[in-house]
Formats: sequence, C-alpha cells, structure tokens
Amino acid sequence: MASQCKEISIPTADPNDPYAIPAAMPSSADRAPRSFDVADFAIPTRKQDDWRFTPVERMEEFFEVFQPAGKLAVEVSNIDGSSIDSDDVSVETVAMGQAPSGTIAKPNDRVSAVEWNSASSTLVVHVLRDLHQPVLIRIVGESTELDALHMAIVTEDRVHGDVVVEHAGKARLAEGVEISTGKDSHVSVTFIQEWEKGSKHIGNQRIHVGEGASLRHSVVTLGGDVVRIRMDQDFGGEQGDLNMLGIYFVDPGEHIEHRTMVVHNHPECKSRVVYKGALDGKDAHSTWVGNALIEPTAPGTDSYELNRNLVLTPGAIADSEPNLEIENGNIVGAGHASSVGRFDDEELFYLQSRGISEVEARKLVVRGFFGELVEEIGIESIAQHLMNVIDRRLAKGEDKAAQVVVEEN
Amino acid sequence: MATLEIKDLYASVETKEGRKQILKGVNLTVNSGETHAVMGPNGSGKSTLAYTLAGHPKYEVDSGQALLDGQDILTMTPDERAKAGLFLAMQYPVEVPGVSMTNFLRTAKTAVDGKAPAIRTWAKELNESMHKLRMDPKFATRSVNEGFSGGEKKRAEVLQLELLKPKFAILDETDSGLDVDALRIVSEGVNRAKENTGLGIMMVTHYTRILKYIKPDIVHVFADGHFVKTGGPELADELEENGYDEYLPEGADSESALA
Repeated sequence: MASQCKEISIPTADPNDPYAIPAAMPSSADRAPRSFDVADFAIPTRKQDDWRFTPVERMEEFFEVFQPAGKLAVEVSNIDGSSIDSDDVSVETVAMGQAPSGTIAKPNDRVSAVEWNSASSTLVVHVLRDLHQPVLIRIVGESTELDALHMAIVTEDRVHGDVVVEHAGKARLAEGVEISTGKDSHVSVTFIQEWEKGSKHIGNQRIHVGEGASLRHSVVTLGGDVVRIRMDQDFGGEQGDLNMLGIYFVDPGEHIEHRTMVVHNHPECKSRVVYKGALDGKDAHSTWVGNALIEPTAPGTDSYELNRNLVLTPGAIADSEPNLEIENGNIVGAGHASSVGRFDDEELFYLQSRGISEVEARKLVVRGFFGELVEEIGIESIAQHLMNVIDRRLAKGEDKAAQVVVEEN
Repeated sequence: MATLEIKDLYASVETKEGRKQILKGVNLTVNSGETHAVMGPNGSGKSTLAYTLAGHPKYEVDSGQALLDGQDILTMTPDERAKAGLFLAMQYPVEVPGVSMTNFLRTAKTAVDGKAPAIRTWAKELNESMHKLRMDPKFATRSVNEGFSGGEKKRAEVLQLELLKPKFAILDETDSGLDVDALRIVSEGVNRAKENTGLGIMMVTHYTRILKYIKPDIVHVFADGHFVKTGGPELADELEENGYDEYLPEGADSESALA
C-alpha cells in the first residue's frame, strides 16, 4: 500500500483557478503556517475564518507575549493520590525547545505562538512502561493573573497507559500541550476543565499518534468564562487509531469552544470524533468546529465526526461546523453529523407526570445525554471519574436552581 | 378511601386559529376502588380532560377545580400532582433517550414516595411486575420508551402504574394499538393494581373491547367538552350498538383535529 501511494503524482494547481483540478485544490495543510515566531501570525479578528465564532475581544490579553505570573500549582501523581514510580513515568521540567518540547509540532496560530514565547519551561510527562493506574496531572489556579503553561506528554512504543489532566480553580491560562504516542501503543489522555467563574483558558494541543497506535483523547469542559481549545493531530504511520471524545456544559454568558483538526496523512488510519454539549441559559455559547483532512497520501482512511448539542433553556447559541477536506478517493469512509436540539417539553412533562421535579428531570436527561458517551471510554476508573465530575457539575446547577427559588420567594 | 372530585372544569388550548375552549363544565366524582369508563366521539375532549388533570402545559384551565382529597391539584405542577397520587397512562408515551428504564423508575419511585426504595425489595418487585406483564428483563436497561413497540410502551405504562401505586389513574386509550393478548396482559396489570391498592380508575376509551377485561362500575358519555350521560355497564353496550350520533350537536362532525 505504501509503495503504491508513492507512485501517485500530484498535479500542481493554478492558484488563479483552483477548481480546475479539484484534487489539487489548496488544502488547509498548505494554508496553515507553522512557526515559533509570533510575528508570523496576524492578530486574530472575527474576519479570519478560524476566529469567526470566537469573541476575540474577550481574550485580547492572549494576543501578545506576556510575563507569566507563575501562580499555578501543578502536581503529578497517580489518580489515587499515591506518588508515581519513576520507573513507570518520568516527570521533568525542561527548557522551552529542549526535546521533546517543541519537537512534536510548531505553534499554528497567534495564541499558540504567544503561549510558546511566554511559557518559561516545559513539563514533560513520559510514560515509560505499562501503567497499572492512570497518571493525574492536576493544575489548580488561584488568581486571574495571566499565566502560561507548556506540557509534553510522551509515551514509549507499545505501552498501555492513561493520563488525566485536570484543571480547577481560577485562572487566566494560555496552555500548550504536545502529545506524542509511541509505535503500537494504547494510550488515553483526558483533559478536564472545571474552572471557576472569571476564568479564561486558551489551549492549543498538537497531537501525534504513533504508527499502529491507538489514542483515546477526551476533553471535558464544564466551566470557564472563555475556554477555547484547539487540537491539531496527525499520524506517524499506517494503522493509527484516533478516538476523540468531548463533553461540554455551558452556563449563561460563557463561551466554550472546541476545535478538532484530524489529519489523515498515512494509509489505513481510523479516526472518530464525537463531541456532545449541553447549554443552559441566556448567552451560553458553544462552538465546535471539526476539521478532517484526508491527504492524498492516506488511502484506506476511515473517518467520522459527530457533534450534538442539547439546548436546555432558551437564549443559548450553539455553533456546530464540521469541515471535511477529502483529497483521496480511495477511502473507507469520511462521514459527519451535527445537530442542535432543544430539551423537549414533552420529555419534561412525561418525567414530571411521574413525580420527578423539573430540576431532577433536566439532570436525568443531561446525565443520560453525556452518559452514553462516557460509557464508550471503556476504562472504568476514568469513566467513573468523569461521571463524578459531571454529577458534581449537575449538582451545582441544582443548588443554583434551588437558590433562585429561595431568592424569588 | 380517597376522592377525586372534578368541579365545573373549563379548559382551553391555544391553536393557530386562536384560543379554543375544549372543556366546558366537567363534573365528575371518582372514589377509591371505582372504575369509571369515559366514552365519547373523537374530538369531544376526552384526552384534553386527561392531560388537563395531569397538568400538561399545553392546556390552560379557565375555571373550576379538581380536588384530590380536598386539595386542588390544578394549582400544582405535574410532579406535585403525581406525588399527590395521580397517574396518567398516556396514549403516546414519550421516548427519553439516554435515560434507562431502571434509573427512571427508581427516580420516579423515590420522588413519589419521598424516599429511596429499599434496594432488595425494589429489585424483586420490579422483576416480578415485569414478569407478570411478560416484559423481557432487557427492557430495564433500555432507554425509556425508546424503540419500544406500541404494545411495549403500553405495558411499560402499566408497569409504572403498578410500581408507583397512585390513588387515581387516568388511562388514556390504553387499549389503542394492542392486539388481543397484549390487551389481556395490560388489563390484568390494571386489575392487579386496583386489587392491591384500591386504585380509583378513570378509563378513557372509544371502544367497549377493553371493558370486557376491566369492568367499569360507571360508564359516562363525554361529548362537546362535558359529560352528557351517565349509566351502568349496560350504557357501554348501548353505545357499541348505536354509536355516538345522538350525543352530537346538530350537523357536528365527529372527527376533529383536536382529538
């Protein structure tokens, strides 16, 4: 298969008439610059395609290099709180640009270049051998001073391991994460955002899935005034398997944005992207943009992406945009689905008519909506952890609703 | 001994053509242990009566009361009505994706009783009730009503009736869409609930078929938004024979979009 694709000759497109040879139309890979230099990227405006859903005026502080406050507490442990065996996982801090830092992929937009140039060092978490329990990287903020954090999560070939990254507290964070998984490894990486009110989080992840490796990448964003996480991925060889799951819950006035970019650059790789969100209240705003690029070098690609949004109360806005660029006709599949639905009045009445209160009914439906996705994770400790996080979030909503009732009386 | 007393109830619904009065002075008293059959032509407002009592937001009460042991349920939210002891078995039960039957039933039972059921007895009771209704145990793990056939949905409604143990049940065309066997199984479930708890039943139906299995004490004819005639079980046979024509206003169409 590999030798076969080397024989493909790609015609050069005429930039004045790109549609003359569709297969040679400029792809997003060609359009997107990669650079460590902030000056190579224009300051984001809503006129730029990548920023048209983003309230750029609410995150201007992330557009110029800054001095990080260094007030984040970062702890690495096993998920049960015990300390890590350094034979399993090595944890170290290296200078920016010292391998693996900066080697997995260069920054790809203004905010990621700013993060790169603002962060003082890179936290490297290197999984060396099979893990018996997930590694937990816990990041807790306590102020809204600007901070920058750069991480590299790397695994050896053929290892099985799970890494969970938790964000909590209050922060204004520019975060860069480079992830590279070894050949034939089976790895899961889960990012949880449980930010307090007033927090902002601009994340950029650059993900490289090893040849023959499977990566389950999960993102759970349950709070933050402005959260924008862009995740760009590619494969390191044939038979890679990428599974990206996302869950988000958006409160009034919050902007929660996830952008996935899956690049099929090698033959016979598989990708699945499933993001689900619930929006509650006025001016709750979610954005999901799912890009998938299937390059001419990737015959046998099997890709699918899906986004579902559940609008619980009126006044929320969900943007959902799948983009497929298919530059190879010899593929298994490239599908997408996207929907925005309202919490159904008939469902609510049915549950209420059985004695279940409105608050409890919403909770039940949202829990079910996310539960289907969490079940798919298949790792008991992580699925349980996520359901706990979601229950905590739903319980918070309940307190708030109860509070409203108290205030109204 | 409980009483459900509907007093001079008027209710309307918002339609494209404006507000339309559907219930026009409904009066009815149902006591524990009594089974009332409410029969009438399409569009007479039988289902509206059922949903208005249960508190569906589409229907607006203009005046009147529905007293459950002296408490007006019409001022309550639908969940409060359920907690007060009212149950509506719906003609078209709603699908709730992602919520398993077990989770739903336990949540409902906890809400209605005000405390969580004891795990062991609850599981036993659930299994027994499902078994008696000839329901596959797999139903418990499926999402509420999702992908259920018409007959399965009706069995699930009666399952809830048996488990939640209300004081009064409104059965809205529970017989529609059932084959003979399913009709018998569902009817047996309703009869069991009545025997076990002294349930009072208001059974809305077009046909006398279900009355062979669930014997009514009192039969009412409902037409043009209120009760027009009340009698014993023999009234049902008379209706089966002669239809509803004599109860319809001159020139009225028995088919209506508001059925």
